[in-house]
Amino acid sequence: MSDEIRTSKLDELRVVHQPLARHDAAEKIAGSTRFAGDLAYAGMLHARLVRSVVPSARLTRRDVTRAALVPGVVAVLLGEDVPHNEISVDVPGQTIAVGALKARMQILATERVRFHGEPIALVIAEHEDALAEACEAVEVEYDELPVISEPADALAEDAFKIHEGGNLLAEWRIDRGDVDAAFASADVVIEGAYTTQFVDHAYLEPEAGVGWYDDDGVMNLRVATQVVEHYRDVAKILGVPDSKVRVIAPYVGGGFGGKEDMTVEPYLALAVAHTRRPVRMQWTRNESLLARAKRHRNHMTYRTAATNDGTILAQDIEIVSDAGAYAYLSALVLLYSSVHACGPYRLDHARIRATTAYTNNPPTSAFRGFGGMQVVLGYESQIDELARRLRLDPGEVRKRNALRRGDRLPVGQEIITEVQLAETIDAVRERAGEKPAPSGPRKAVGRAIASNMQSYGRLVWLNDSAAAWIGFQMDGSLTVRCGVPDIGGGQASSLAQIASEILAVDMDRITVHFGDSALNPLAGTTTATRQLLMSGNATYEAAVMLRDQLLGAVAASTRDPVESLAMTPEGIAGPGGITAVTAALQICRRGNVPVEALGTFFGPKGKEVTRDLDGERLFPDFTFGTHLADVEVDLDTGEVKVLRYLAAHDVGRAINPLSVEGQIAGAAVQGIGQALLEEIVMQDGVNLTGGFFQYLIPTAMDVPDIEAIVLESGEGLGPFGARGIGEPPIGPPLAAISSAIADAVGARPTTLPITPERVLECVERGARSTP
Amino acid sequence: MSAERTDVSTTLVVNGRPVTRSAGGHVTLLRWLRDEADVLDPKYGCGEGVCGACTVLVDGEPASACIVLAAQCEGSAITTAAGLLDDDGEPSPLQRAFHQHHAAQCGFCTPGMLMCAQAMLADGTTRSRDEIREELHGNLCRCTGYQHIVDAIEDAQGAAR
Amino acid sequence: MFVKPFGYVRAASLAEAADGLREAGGGARVLAGGQSLLPMMNLGLLDLDAVIDVSHVDEARGVIEDEGYLRIGALTRHREVHADPLVTSRQPLLASAAGRVGSSRIRARGTLGGSLAHSDPAAELPLAMIALGATYEVTDGAATRTVRADEFHVSYFTTDLAADELLAEVRVPTLGPGWGWGFQEVSRRPGDFAIVAAAALVRLADGEIVESRLALGGVSERPLRLGAVESSVTGARATQLEERIGPIEGLDPVTDTSATAGHRRHLARVLSVRALSDACRRAQEAA
Repeated sequence: MSDEIRTSKLDELRVVHQPLARHDAAEKIAGSTRFAGDLAYAGMLHARLVRSVVPSARLTRRDVTRAALVPGVVAVLLGEDVPHNEISVDVPGQTIAVGALKARMQILATERVRFHGEPIALVIAEHEDALAEACEAVEVEYDELPVISEPADALAEDAFKIHEGGNLLAEWRIDRGDVDAAFASADVVIEGAYTTQFVDHAYLEPEAGVGWYDDDGVMNLRVATQVVEHYRDVAKILGVPDSKVRVIAPYVGGGFGGKEDMTVEPYLALAVAHTRRPVRMQWTRNESLLARAKRHRNHMTYRTAATNDGTILAQDIEIVSDAGAYAYLSALVLLYSSVHACGPYRLDHARIRATTAYTNNPPTSAFRGFGGMQVVLGYESQIDELARRLRLDPGEVRKRNALRRGDRLPVGQEIITEVQLAETIDAVRERAGEKPAPSGPRKAVGRAIASNMQSYGRLVWLNDSAAAWIGFQMDGSLTVRCGVPDIGGGQASSLAQIASEILAVDMDRITVHFGDSALNPLAGTTTATRQLLMSGNATYEAAVMLRDQLLGAVAASTRDPVESLAMTPEGIAGPGGITAVTAALQICRRGNVPVEALGTFFGPKGKEVTRDLDGERLFPDFTFGTHLADVEVDLDTGEVKVLRYLAAHDVGRAINPLSVEGQIAGAAVQGIGQALLEEIVMQDGVNLTGGFFQYLIPTAMDVPDIEAIVLESGEGLGPFGARGIGEPPIGPPLAAISSAIADAVGARPTTLPITPERVLECVERGARSTP
Repeated sequence: MSAERTDVSTTLVVNGRPVTRSAGGHVTLLRWLRDEADVLDPKYGCGEGVCGACTVLVDGEPASACIVLAAQCEGSAITTAAGLLDDDGEPSPLQRAFHQHHAAQCGFCTPGMLMCAQAMLADGTTRSRDEIREELHGNLCRCTGYQHIVDAIEDAQGAAR
Repeated sequence: MFVKPFGYVRAASLAEAADGLREAGGGARVLAGGQSLLPMMNLGLLDLDAVIDVSHVDEARGVIEDEGYLRIGALTRHREVHADPLVTSRQPLLASAAGRVGSSRIRARGTLGGSLAHSDPAAELPLAMIALGATYEVTDGAATRTVRADEFHVSYFTTDLAADELLAEVRVPTLGPGWGWGFQEVSRRPGDFAIVAAAALVRLADGEIVESRLALGGVSERPLRLGAVESSVTGARATQLEERIGPIEGLDPVTDTSATAGHRRHLARVLSVRALSDACRRAQEAA
C-alpha cells in the first residue's frame, strides 16, 4: 500500500532505531573501499575529454590529426564517431508554445558549443601521460557567437537563440483563490527580491569510472553514479539493446544530485566500444567544476499579504531560474520550486509564476533540495520580515500559519501525515537558551530561526517503484540484493537494519549487494530523498514475505497456529519452544517453500502535470523542520562567524539515529556554505572558479557543531513510519543565516552568498535605517 | 629543450614495506602510490593540495601526496590509512573511534582525515574541539559537517592519553 | 593529474641547481617544497620543460643570528620558521606570518625561499619581508648578490631573479627593544590566501608612536610599504589611530572571485588600523 503509515512502537524495535555503526564503515576506515576510480585492469586505457574553451560558438574546424600522432594515443573520437550522438530529455507539462517538449543535447559537440567546458572530442591513450599533450593537440577553431548570461536577457524578444526552439525552456503556474482581493484587504504587505547563486556539489570524489566488455559482450560500466538505470541511456547512445549494458555503482564518494545525470558514462562506453579494451576515465576537479551541472541560480520576487495578527492571507511569487546551456532536469527542479514556494504555511490565495530559460552558463540540474531549497530563502525571509514589521515573535508567526494534517498546499495537494512544525520551533528555541553577547566592540550578534518543508519521494506521476530481494542462506545468514546506489548516506546499511529487524538476523550476518543494474532488482535512483521510502519499503515487504514464508512452513510442520510464532534472534519462537532458523530452512525445502522473496514497492500515483498546476497531488509526502542560527558579525570587515547552529526535524522514525544526525549535520553545513561562501562565478559565460582554491566549501573552522534535534512523530510513509531526511535540512540555513545577519545589523541580505562585502552593505543600510 | 620524461627509480618504505619502482620524475607521490605501488587509499580530490583527500605521512609529517613528487621523497617512510591497521589487519584505536562515531559517510575523505588526525595524535598534545577543528581545516569533508570526525579524534586522543 | 611529462633533475647543491637552470635555458624552475609550483602545474597554469629539485640540498636551511640580523636559509620550511626560538624571540611578526601560511601540510613542506620566489602579492611571507626591510641573498652558483625585498618582488608572480638564479638566504633585521608588532589578515576561509593582509611594527615613547612600519598585501601587484600612513601616525597614541588614518592612497587592488577592488580598499584601512593597534599594544606590553 503506497500510502500506508507503517507506524512502529519503539519498545518493539530491536535493531531499527539503534545508533549502530554502519556496516560499510569498517572498510572505509581501513582505506580498503574500492571507489569508482580505484579499479584497474591489465591493459587498461585512459580517456580524457577535450572541452570548449569558449561559452558560445560555432565550431568551424575540428582536426584530430596531430593528436592521433601523439605517442601512446589509441584513438581520438568526435561526435561523428558516436552511434547516436543526440540524447533528449522530456520536458513535461509544457505546450509547444512555451518550450520544446524534448530538449536535446549532444554527447560530443559537432557544430555548436553552448557553454564553457562542453565536450568536443574524446582522447583515448595507453597511459595518462599522453592525454594532456594529445588533448592540447586536438585543433578546434571557434567562430564565437553572442553570450547570454542572464535568463532575463535570454527571454527578451529579440534575444539570440541558444537553441532552435527558443530560449524559454519551461513555465509553471499555480493560481489559488483570489490573490488581488486578498492583497487589497491586507493590513500589511511585505515585498522582497532574493537571488541564489550557482552552487557546485563539490563532493570529494570527482567523477570517475572504469568500463569493460565482459565475456557475454555486455558493456560494463563501474562508475560513481546515483542512477544505475542510466544503462538504458548508454544503450541508446551505443545503439544496442538495453540488456547489453550493465552499470555498477560501487560506494560513491558523495553525490548530492551531482551524480544523478550521466557524467563519465557515455564517454567510457564510447571508448570501450571503440577500442574493445578496458578504459578508465577520471575527471579532474577542474573539469568537475567547469562542466558538471550546477544548482540553479534563482531570481525570486515575493509579495506577502497578511493581517495585523500575523496571519498570512496571500502570496504572489515570481521565480526565474537559470537553466544553463542544456535542459537536464531544469523543468522538474523549477516544478519543485513552484510547489514548495510558499513553504510550510497555510494560505488560501497564491499566485506563482515560474520560468526557466537557457543561458550560456553551465547546465543546471539536480542538487540536494532540488529547487525546493532555494525558495526557503524567499518564504522565510518574508515571514521573518513580517514578524519584524508587526513586532511579533517570529516563532509565533510561523506557528500561527503552520500547515496541519488535512490542509492543502497552494497546488492543491493535501497533507496526509502529522505536521510537527511547531514542535521543531519550540525544540530549537528551548535548546538554544539566551542569545549570546558580542565578543567585543564593533561586533554584533544576531539570532534567527528558519523553518521549511521538503518533499521526499519522486513526483507521483512518475509511477515510481523499487524492488528488493532477500534470501536466506542455508546457514541462516542473509543476502539482500537491491539496485540502490549507496552514495554515502548509509543506504545499504539501512536496508540491512530493516531486514535485521524483521528477520531477526544479526547485522554482521547480512550482506547487502547494491548498485548493480544487471544482477540486482532495480530500485531506482538514489535521489529525491526516496531510497528509504522506496527501497526501504521494498526491503520491508520482501522481509515480511520471507518471514511469513518461514513462519508458515514452521507452523505447518509443528501444527502451531502461525500467529503464535515469531522470529527472534534465537530462532523461531513458538508455544513448543524455539526452532532454529537453519532447521526452519530445512523445513521450507522439504515443503517446497521458497527461502527468498522479492518485494516490490509502488509509490503513490497521480496524474501527469500540466503547465497550469491545479488540485493535484505531486509528491508522496513532506518532511518539516526548523533551524536556529546565532551569528556574530564583524562590523568593520563584514566577516560572519556562525556561533551556534541548531537543526530540528521530524523524521517520523529514525532508522539509525547516528545516520540521521549525520544527514542533518552534513546538509546543514552545505546550506551554511551556500549561505556564506560558495559560488560558481561566471563572467560572460566564462567560469572563473576552476579550482578548489577558488570554489570555497566550508572547512572544519567555518562551522560550529550542528546540534541536531531529532523528533519522531512516528508518521511517515517509509518503513516503520520513517520520513526521508537526506535533502530537507539543506534549505533552512539560507534563511537562518541571512535572517540572523539581519537581526545583528538591522538590514537583510537578499543575495547569496552573503560575502563580507554584502554584509557591509547591510551594516550601512542598517545604520541608516536605525535612528 | 622540449619536455623530456626522465625515469627515476624511487624506493619508498610504504606502510613498513620497501617498494622500488621506476617512474617518470614528474610523477606525483599520489600517482606513484596509486598507479605504481597499488596503494589505493590516498584519493585524488583536487590536485591543488587544498582538499586533503590524498594526505599521507612522509617520515611522520602530513603531506598532500598530489603536490609532492615521488622522487622528492626518495628513501622516505610513507604511511597511509591502510598502514594504521595492526599486523592482524585490526583497526587502530583512531580508526575504531572513526567507526564508532560515524565519522565516515561516503568515506572518500576518510583516509586523508585519518592521516591528519594521526599526525595530531602523534605529537602528544591534547587538543580542545576548536583546536582539533583548526588542525583539520586543510582536510575537506562534504558529507559529515565535521562534527562526528571531531568527536572521533577527541575520543581517540582521550584513549591515547 | 594529466600533467604533460617534464624532466626531473635532482640537485645536490644550490650551485648544481643553478647549473641546471642554465642548461634548461629558461624552461625550468626550482622545486623546493613544491607547494605552489606543483598545484600550478596540476592546474595547467604552468608548462615547464623540467624542474630542478633542491629538496635534498643540505645547505640553506636553518636560522642563525648575526650582527643585528637573522639569517634564514631559503630552504627552511614554514613550520621551522614559525617555531624557531630565534625567530619567535627576535622577530615574532615573521613567526606569526609563517604560522598563517596554508595548512599544516603546506607548512610542513613549503619553504621560505619557495614562497618568496613565488611572489604571490597576497601571500604572508613577502609581506612580512617588506614590512621588516629584509634583504635576500641571491646566487647563480658562482656569484652572490644582495637584493632588497621591495626590489625583489616586482609584480604578480614576478621577481628580480634571473633565469639562472635562486634564493639562498634571507636576512631579516632584528629590532631593538621597545618595538611591538601586529599582523592582521582577512581571508574568505582560514588558510586561504589573504584578501588583504597588514603587517605593522611600531616603537613607542610615552605611549606615542615614534617610529613605525606598515605594509599591506593583496592590494597591489606586490606588497606595499605605506610611508604616508607611517608618517601620519607619528606621534599618535593607539586610541588615535582610527582618526589619524584616512583612506589609503596609492593602492591598485584587483577584483577577483574573493573580493572586489573596492572591498580590498576598505579592508586596507581597517586592517592597517588593527595591525598598528596590535603593534602598539604589544609595544606597551613589552615596555
